[in-house]
Amino acid sequence: MVQLVGSLRKELADSLSSCRVLVVGAGGIGCELLKNLVLTGFKNIEVIDLDTIDVSNLNRQFLFQKKHVGKSKAQVAKESALQFCPTANITAYHDSIMNPDYNVEFFRNFMLVMNALDNRAARNHVNRMCLAADIPLIESGTAGYLGQVTVIKKGLTECYECQPKPSQKTFPGCTIRNTPSEPIHCIVWAKYLFNQLFGEEDADQEVSPDTADPEAAWNPEEAAARATASEKDGDIKRVSTKEWARSTGYDSIKLFNKVATRQIHQLFKDDIMYLLTMDKLWKKRKAPLPLDWQQLENHGSGLKDQQVLGIWGYCKLFQHSVETLRSQLEQKGDGAELVWDKDDPPAMDFVTAAANLRMHIFSMNMKSRFDIKSMAGNIIPAIATTNAVIAGLIVLEGLKILSGELESCRSIFLNKCPNLRKKLLVPCVLDPPSANCYVCASKPEVTVKLNVHKSMVVFLQDKILKERFGMVAPDVQIEDGKGTILISSEEGETEANNSKFLSDFGIRNGSRLQADDFLQDYTLLINVLHTEDLEKDVEFEVVGDAPDKAPPPPSNQEETNSITNGNKDSAQPSTSSKGLTCSHSAVMLAQP
Amino acid sequence: MIDMIEKEEPIISEEEAAQYDRQIRLWGLDAQKRLRGSRVLLVGLGGLGAEVAKNLILAGVKGLTLLDHEQVTEESCRAQFLVPVTARGQNRAQASLERAQYLNPMVEVRAYPDRPEDKPDDFFLQFDAVCLTGCSRDLMVRVDQLCSQRNIKVFCGDVYGYYGYMFSDLGKEHHYALRIFCSLKEALEVDWTSEKAKASLKRTPVDYFLLHVLLKFRTDKGRDPDPQSFAEDSQLLRQIRDDVLESLAVSGDLLSDDFVSYCFSEMSPVCAVVGGVLGQEVVKALSQRDAPHRNFFFFDGRKGNGVVDYFGPN
Repeated sequence: MVQLVGSLRKELADSLSSCRVLVVGAGGIGCELLKNLVLTGFKNIEVIDLDTIDVSNLNRQFLFQKKHVGKSKAQVAKESALQFCPTANITAYHDSIMNPDYNVEFFRNFMLVMNALDNRAARNHVNRMCLAADIPLIESGTAGYLGQVTVIKKGLTECYECQPKPSQKTFPGCTIRNTPSEPIHCIVWAKYLFNQLFGEEDADQEVSPDTADPEAAWNPEEAAARATASEKDGDIKRVSTKEWARSTGYDSIKLFNKVATRQIHQLFKDDIMYLLTMDKLWKKRKAPLPLDWQQLENHGSGLKDQQVLGIWGYCKLFQHSVETLRSQLEQKGDGAELVWDKDDPPAMDFVTAAANLRMHIFSMNMKSRFDIKSMAGNIIPAIATTNAVIAGLIVLEGLKILSGELESCRSIFLNKCPNLRKKLLVPCVLDPPSANCYVCASKPEVTVKLNVHKSMVVFLQDKILKERFGMVAPDVQIEDGKGTILISSEEGETEANNSKFLSDFGIRNGSRLQADDFLQDYTLLINVLHTEDLEKDVEFEVVGDAPDKAPPPPSNQEETNSITNGNKDSAQPSTSSKGLTCSHSAVMLAQP
Repeated sequence: MIDMIEKEEPIISEEEAAQYDRQIRLWGLDAQKRLRGSRVLLVGLGGLGAEVAKNLILAGVKGLTLLDHEQVTEESCRAQFLVPVTARGQNRAQASLERAQYLNPMVEVRAYPDRPEDKPDDFFLQFDAVCLTGCSRDLMVRVDQLCSQRNIKVFCGDVYGYYGYMFSDLGKEHHYALRIFCSLKEALEVDWTSEKAKASLKRTPVDYFLLHVLLKFRTDKGRDPDPQSFAEDSQLLRQIRDDVLESLAVSGDLLSDDFVSYCFSEMSPVCAVVGGVLGQEVVKALSQRDAPHRNFFFFDGRKGNGVVDYFGPN
């Protein structure tokens, strides 16, 4: 005879009260999920989140109120949940799940792990930890009206990394520096400029005209000559406060004024005039118009637009924000750097102004601060209802897992409109693991194309192993018969190797490297394919990856389901087709 | 920047702009302003009601009125997250008020302990939208008839164990062009004996018939299936299933016995799904943005299926 406790069979209800589950993330999905778990009868819940509460969270992260702004999400979520279920046993961690304290043993404590994350790096990491611990993982994500849930179980289903995910969209250097054609190019340029002036300098974020632009040359020799000539740093000089004081001797207001004005001249006039000399670029494009500060100043501030300031308004805004940022930097002391933050008003003003000035120069319609903030800050719109639906689906999948009914688990997609078969929620059968997945295959292996003479060890570590292959603390050995250690995760041990080139260690075409991340219990064999022949701005390629191309725009009927990776990753959503059973496409990314 | 003073249009303050930022980026400022001017009635503060309340309050409507005559029981505390555990014996709407208000102080939340059946017609007419959960079929039909004539948006919804549904009647003149809605009465009284209806049965979600069964149970017993009387209620459900399918002149095979043990009590995750869809439909209707689902949404929590389908004359 069936016995029910509430809606559930007694056996299921009993196992809920004894099992331990882990929720990774206490944001949009996390708050809804915590509430559902507690009300469904889960008694032992651990929740982890490194973030603190912001006012913009309050439209959906309902466990938080205005008075909680600034506090730990995990901690406040726990306290609020206990309010309506005081008997629940909830542990909150204000921490990053990538902290080595949360090792395989930690994960093995749980019967079920549920992600409620907003970035790919953490998702990759939890994916590997759950594979290593062999614990079922429920993945999910939302963006706007769309959402998705899926189940990951080692050996049974695809892991999170079985299907290649499109990498973060980047633009070629010459588009940013020479020939922007869209607002986003100008916004990216403005963010680079911020870093050049106030933040961490990055050789990949140059803002001055790119003299080595192949498109600008009338013949290949010219381009090559220019490329070698521009080895010297023609980029905007980061002027330290000390240098300023030394070089001008003016009082502070004039000092800031002078420098800001000088920078405006350089960036928006001189550099533009330089670009104009690269006449081949403008044969088929509209040429940029340099700004003349003097002229603008003389015409005064008659331009007043309710939502979009006029050119003069942005000049003043640029000047003003530079002054504010300079003094922020000064207050931080010597060697200080600022990190760009969309919620810091002068930083946002700076990008708004600089991007708009550049848009104007390149004949694009200027944009409001609101719109620029979306693009610069990679903001993904979010509402409570989508998160509520997805969190409900997560718990339902969880119940199937705990009932031992893994074969009934599904990927479920939430559409904005019903599909041709009237479905708003589309369940799909889970795919088996991919045989050559570079994470969950029995002996994962990849081939990487790069130039061994030009790739440094630190580049291998940071851009390839960490960024591209999701390792957190890699160790690398060369399979050279001697087991030469190239990179050690122990701090300082192989620091001397960092700026050496791979070829310095005898690495060449056909060499094999063994990369390990001990925390993730993950070993990856890398075959090195040496080449001198990579595209401009491309420093390595993973063989077998689909080439990066712009995603097709989603159809009006929303046949395709495109979900983004969260504001910490790609700025653009992307689509990939997923097979015949489900008339949608989805790439698992997402933001609660 | 966002302050645009227009005659009789609500102003969005800086505070609201900051709090609603992520949703304004999705549905736009005009939609937010329309929400900001809307008053909604929510009947029933069970599991589904609490979810809808949360969603509408977070969305930033002008006012939300909670109406529920039921008392808080031990079960209510497990079913929803607005009622404090110390509130046993109190009225469910009034006990939910404080936590509901905390969700968003900018919304005017009120609570009344009366039976909706006892409320006069003009009580319902003061709202822009009415949302009925846990209500009898007769009440829903009456309120729908009354409100849709006056261009008041009507929504109904319930959760029974793993199953749930949502119904909407946005009237004949809903702004989102070409979308015709019918009354709940018409939707429930589809004639299945016609040739056309019979042919369409294959593509018809059985959830529609399940709904008939559960509404009949509620009418006959004055309550929903109760886990405490599982054996008795299961038998009654099977019996009602037989009667209903017969009276609708459809095959008894349409609804197997399977559903019986899965329709008890309001399951929290199912309330979350149905409440999310229902909440968003209310938001869409009030903000006059995006095509509404016509006119039913059915959710099967065991299969993960969520379908939208239209039931009504022709």
